Amino acid sequence: MSRLQRMIDRLLTQRACLHFAAQEIADLAGPVFEIGLGKGRTYSYLRELLPDREIYAFDREVHAPADAQPDADHIVLGDFRDALADAGARFGGRVALIHADIGSEKPERDAQLAADLGPSLAALAASGGLILCDRELSLAAWPRLPLPSDAGDWDYFIYRAP
Amino acid sequence: MSRLDSAIRRLTAQRACLDAAIALVAGRDGPVLELGLGNGRSYDHLREALPGSDIFVFDRRAEAHPDCMPDDDHLILGDFRDTLPAAAARFGATVMLAHCDIGSGRPDADASLAAFVAGALAGLLAPGAVVVADQELDAAALTALDLPEGVAPGRYFMYRAGSP
Repeated sequence: MSRLQRMIDRLLTQRACLHFAAQEIADLAGPVFEIGLGKGRTYSYLRELLPDREIYAFDREVHAPADAQPDADHIVLGDFRDALADAGARFGGRVALIHADIGSEKPERDAQLAADLGPSLAALAASGGLILCDRELSLAAWPRLPLPSDAGDWDYFIYRAP
Repeated sequence: MSRLDSAIRRLTAQRACLDAAIALVAGRDGPVLELGLGNGRSYDHLREALPGSDIFVFDRRAEAHPDCMPDDDHLILGDFRDTLPAAAARFGATVMLAHCDIGSGRPDADASLAAFVAGALAGLLAPGAVVVADQELDAAALTALDLPEGVAPGRYFMYRAGSP
């Protein structure tokens, strides 16, 4: 499968999962976290889906286009491990939706990062909130939800916080 | 429209046009030109669909993912204004398929480059060759083709070499 095809599948899956998640959390208060701002595509979509939510984006640096950048109060720069551990004090147990787009093309690095971030993400999520991730998280006892039917041929992981 | 939606729209239009063009040139001989390597996604798509073809890639710099990098014999670096005339001298009118992904998002620069590329391609295309482009190409030697279903007019462009 070509990289063009894979990119289309990845983006279709992200759109389907985020759309599903936005509906699921409609009645759950709390901010949204975008872990991995990147080019700002999914941040831009989340902002459109959830215009009244506070959305905080995390990344090492900002290289999204200007129209897909959060304001200075909603961007947290630095290593994900440190930034998310720090966010626990302010947001622990309150985040309605976390989208973590953290994968690279280095499977070992990704597995380590997912393992490192799992506990911080679990501590941030509100009860009934959702965590979407492009890599599998080991969240013991958390049910993994099926992907929406309009997702592309691309793996994604949706968990609901107990 | 969100940036996610617009990326999906652009990439699905690109894929649909490339697939339609690949079907139109099936069984023909001649090199394929990819103008604008970028990260190598559409090059990878062409390479997968046309495994026996010589695909020559033109760009200013080679910045693709390593597994989407053409070998040195198929990568022609430099300004299109220099490399395309040199290619015409080398290949003549033998090219069966060209994909031009040359937009920068700066309308004036894009229009000027598209005008140059349209003229330069005329000397490279075999009769009946197909051109897929992210910019409108205006040349007497190019006849616009209908776009595949689902691709709105103006989103991507397809041409056949030769008068109607």
